[in-house]
Amino acid sequence: VTAIRISGGRVHDPANGVDGELRDVCLNDGKIVSDVGPDARRIDARGMVVMAGGVDIHAHIAGPKVNAARKLSPDDRRDDPLDRTEVLRSGTGGLVPSTFATGYRYSLLGYTTVVEAAAPPLAARHVLSELRDTPMIDKAFLILMGNNQVLFELIRRSGGAVSGELRDAVAWWLDATGGYGVKLVNPGGVERYKQDNGNVHSLDDEVDGFGVTPRAVLEAIGGAVDELGLPHPVHVHANNLGVPGNADTTLDTMRTLAGRQAHFAHLQFHAYGGKPGGLPRSRAPELLDYLSAHPEITADVGQVMFGPAVTMTADGAVSAVLRDLGADKWINHDTEVETGCGIVPYRYRAGNYVHALQWGIGLELFLLCQNPWQVMLSTDHPNGGSFLSYPKLIRLLMDRAFREDQMRRANQRAIRRTALLDGLDREYSLNEIAIITRAAPARRLGLRDKGHLGVGADADVTIYHDRADREEMFATPRYVIKGGEVAVEEGELRRSDDGLLLSSRAAFDPDVSGVLAPLFGDRYTVAFEHYPVRDPALREPVQIVEAAAP
Amino acid sequence: VADFGPVTCAGCGLLCDDVTVEASSDGVRLQPDCALGVQWFSERMHRRDAAPATIDGRPTDVEAALARAAELLREARRPLVHGFEGATVEDARAALALADRLGALVVTRRAEDGWPGGPAVPLRGASSATLGEIRDRSRLVVIWREDPETTHPRLLDRLGFGRTPSRAGSERTLVVVDDRDTATARRADTRLRWQRDHDLHALTSLHVLQRGLALRSGDLVAEVTGLMDRLRAVAHAAFVYGPRLTGGAGGQRRALALHELVRALNHDRHVVTLELPAAAGTRSADDVVAWQTGYSGAVDLAGGHPEPLGATHRIGDHEGVDVALSIEAAPAHGGGGAEIGLGTLPPGHDVAVSIRTAAAGVSATGTAHRLDGVPVALQAPLPDAAPPAAALLARLLEEVTR
Repeated sequence: VTAIRISGGRVHDPANGVDGELRDVCLNDGKIVSDVGPDARRIDARGMVVMAGGVDIHAHIAGPKVNAARKLSPDDRRDDPLDRTEVLRSGTGGLVPSTFATGYRYSLLGYTTVVEAAAPPLAARHVLSELRDTPMIDKAFLILMGNNQVLFELIRRSGGAVSGELRDAVAWWLDATGGYGVKLVNPGGVERYKQDNGNVHSLDDEVDGFGVTPRAVLEAIGGAVDELGLPHPVHVHANNLGVPGNADTTLDTMRTLAGRQAHFAHLQFHAYGGKPGGLPRSRAPELLDYLSAHPEITADVGQVMFGPAVTMTADGAVSAVLRDLGADKWINHDTEVETGCGIVPYRYRAGNYVHALQWGIGLELFLLCQNPWQVMLSTDHPNGGSFLSYPKLIRLLMDRAFREDQMRRANQRAIRRTALLDGLDREYSLNEIAIITRAAPARRLGLRDKGHLGVGADADVTIYHDRADREEMFATPRYVIKGGEVAVEEGELRRSDDGLLLSSRAAFDPDVSGVLAPLFGDRYTVAFEHYPVRDPALREPVQIVEAAAP
Repeated sequence: VADFGPVTCAGCGLLCDDVTVEASSDGVRLQPDCALGVQWFSERMHRRDAAPATIDGRPTDVEAALARAAELLREARRPLVHGFEGATVEDARAALALADRLGALVVTRRAEDGWPGGPAVPLRGASSATLGEIRDRSRLVVIWREDPETTHPRLLDRLGFGRTPSRAGSERTLVVVDDRDTATARRADTRLRWQRDHDLHALTSLHVLQRGLALRSGDLVAEVTGLMDRLRAVAHAAFVYGPRLTGGAGGQRRALALHELVRALNHDRHVVTLELPAAAGTRSADDVVAWQTGYSGAVDLAGGHPEPLGATHRIGDHEGVDVALSIEAAPAHGGGGAEIGLGTLPPGHDVAVSIRTAAAGVSATGTAHRLDGVPVALQAPLPDAAPPAAALLARLLEEVTR
C-alpha cells in the first residue's frame, strides 16, 4: 500500500465542516491520516476539487432481478461492449451492465460504495456471488422483509407489537444472509399480488390470510430495526408507488413510523397528488415540509431522467401496471414466502405529461429541500435512469441556465404544475453535492469511515477537475482512489480490486431458530438448516458494522 | 459404508436439499427415495476410485494433465467452453474467467447436442415463480410435454402432487399435454394428447380464447376450450415446460407463444411458468454467463468482449472449433462422475486430456442454482483428494497466462 499526499486541492468534506478549503489530504495503509512522510507519492491537485468517494445509497446492481433484466435486454448492450485488458475482465454496458462493467463504471464515476437496495433473502447466495464479481467498489445489500410470511406470522402473534421474537428474527435473517439492512417494499401488497393480482391500497387493508396490515408490518419491523440499532434504519418503498394521490399514503407511512429512524426510497415516485386513475400532480412540498419537521426521516429522490430506463422492483403489481400500459417486455418472478419481482424496460419522454411531472417533482425535492442531509441523490438505478446519468443530474442541480433550458424541452403543462417556474433559482454548491452524493448517504448508512475525509476514514477519495461544465466534471474524475490505491487516473482504470462486502450484525437469541424452523418447514422448499449462508468464499472479504443497541 | 444427510442432491435441477444417504455394499439408498438421485450419488461415490487424470486415454497425474491442457488451450485457434451438466456457480465463474482470457466460445450446454434454439424470454419476457409459490398457490398445473417423473423425479411431489401438502388445498388439478404414455402423463387428472407439431396451434388457440374470441371448428377445439375453461376457473395457475417445447425447429416460436399466452392470462389471474433445464448445472451456468457477460446461453468472447450467438446458431458445424473444454461433463471414457475434458467435438471426438473433479454435493462444497433460480448450498459429506472443477479451472487460467 502506497502513502499518498493529495496536494493543493480544494477540499469539500462537509461531514467535517470543510467547504472548499485549499489543503492537503494524506493517505496511508488504506486510511486517511494526518500526515505522510516525504517519500509518499504526491498527487498535484491544484485547480482540482477533492471529495470523499461517492456513496450510492439506493441502486439495483446485483441479484436475480438484475440478472433477469440482463437476460431480457440483449439489444440494450450490443453497442456498448467493454474489452478485456491485462487487468480487467470484459463485459457489456447498457442500462443494466454486466457485473464487472458495473464495478468499473461506478469507479470511473468516482463512486466507491454502492448499496443493492432490494435482495430476496432466499437469493442471498446469488446476490453474494454477483457481488463477488462486481469489482472496484465496496458493496452492501438490503434484504426484503415487507412481505415475508414467517414475519407476518410473528407480527400476528404479537398483535403488531415489536416482540423479542420478531427482533431476534430480523437479526437472524441479517446474520443468515450477510445483508446490511432491512427493506420494506409495498408491505403486504406484494403478497396480495402474488395471490391473485391483488394489492393493498391503504395502510389498514388486511393482507388476506395473514391477519396483518401494512401499518402493522411497518410498525413492527420498523420498530424492530430501530430497537436493534442497526447501522441503517428501515428502508421503505412505500405502498401505492406511482399511483396519483399516493402522497397521502406516503405521509401516513411517515407518521406511522414517527419517532423511529427511517429512510424513504425514491421519494419522487411517492409524491403525487390527484386521484387514482386520474392525472397526477406534485405534492413534493408537503412531503418536504414533513421532513423538515422530522429529522429522523431521510429520503433518496429517485430522479427520472429523460431517455431509456429499466424499471425493476420487488413490487410486481407496479410492473403489471406498466405492462398494461403497452410495454413490449415484461418479467414477473415470484419468490416463495418472501417477495415478488417485476421488470419492464421503459422510456421517459420529455413531452409526456406524467414523465415530465415526475422529472419536475424530483427536481422539486432537491431544490425545495431545506436540509440536503435529508434528501440524497439517486435515480433508483436503473428505474429512473442509469447511474451513468448522475453527472447530468448534478448539472441540473448546479446550473440554473442548463436546468431552465431542459425545462423548456419538457411538457409545459406538467412543468407548470410544479414549483420549478416559481422563481426557483437555487443552484447547488459543490459542498451540497458532496453532501447528497457521499456525506449524507454514508452517514445514513452508518458507515462511519466513509463519505468523509477525516483522519481514520477509509482512503476512498475522488479528485475532479474544477470545470465549469459540471456534467463533464463529474463524469470524468481525474483520480479515483479506493482503499488508498489509485484505481482511476486520467479516466482510465489502472487496476482491479475486489472491494469489500459490507454486512451488519446485531445480537440475537440463538433459540429463535426453534421459533423459525417450524414456520420455515411448511412454507419454504429449502431446508431450514441449509438456508443460512456460511461459506467464506461468498461472505468474505467483509467489513462488519455492528448494531448500536446492546 | 457411509450414512449422511440431510444433504443436497445435484442429480437434477431440483437440487433437493433434504436427502439422507445410506451407502453400503448393497448399494445406495436415499430418503426420500429417488432413482435418479441414487444413480447420481452411486456414480460419484464410485468415481472416487478412478484415475485422477488422463492424457490421450493414459492415466497420469493432475499436474501433468494441467500442463498439457494449458498447452492445448494456448495453441487453440478457436477454443470452446461448454457442457456444465454438473457445474456449480463457482465452476461457471472460473470457467468464464478462463474463457474470457482465451477469447473462447461459451455454450452452457453440451455443444454436440446442438444449440437448442434462441431463448424466447429476451423477446417479450416471462412470468415465473419458485417451487413453493406454485405448490402453495396454483390450483391448476399444466405440464407441457415434459416427463419430470423421469427427468426430475420429485418435481410433482415438490409441487404438492404427492406426499407434500399444498397450502392451496386438495382441489388442485394436474393437466399433462403429451401424446406419449409417460410416467408423468399417467399421474395426470387430465391428459391432452395432441401431437407435438400441434403445440404452436394449441398455444395460439388458447390465446384466441383468452381474448374472448371464438375458435373456428377444427383440430383441438374441444381440448383447447376445455383447458381454457379450467384456466378461467382458477385464480392462480402454472405451466411447466422444457426442452421438448423450446428445442428443435420452431422451438423459439413455441416458447414465445407460451409466454405470450401467459402474459395475456395474467390480466385477470396470476399465471406463472417453470422451465425444466437441460441438465442440473444449466441454470447455474446460464445465470453466471448472464451476469458476467450480459447475455445468456451462448456467447462468443473471441473479439475481446462478449457477443451473443444467434438463435439458430449451431456450434461445431461451422465455427472452426479446434479445442473444446467441457466443464463438469460425464466422463468421455465412462465410469460415472464428472470431469474437465479437453478434446475435439464430434465427429472425430478425441479426448486429449481429462481431469477428474471432486463432485460438488459429495466431495466438494459449492452453490448451484435450482431450476427456479433459487441458489442452494451443496455439501461435501465425503471429502476427496480430487480438486473441484473451480479450483482446476483457476489453476488452468494461471497456466495459460504464465
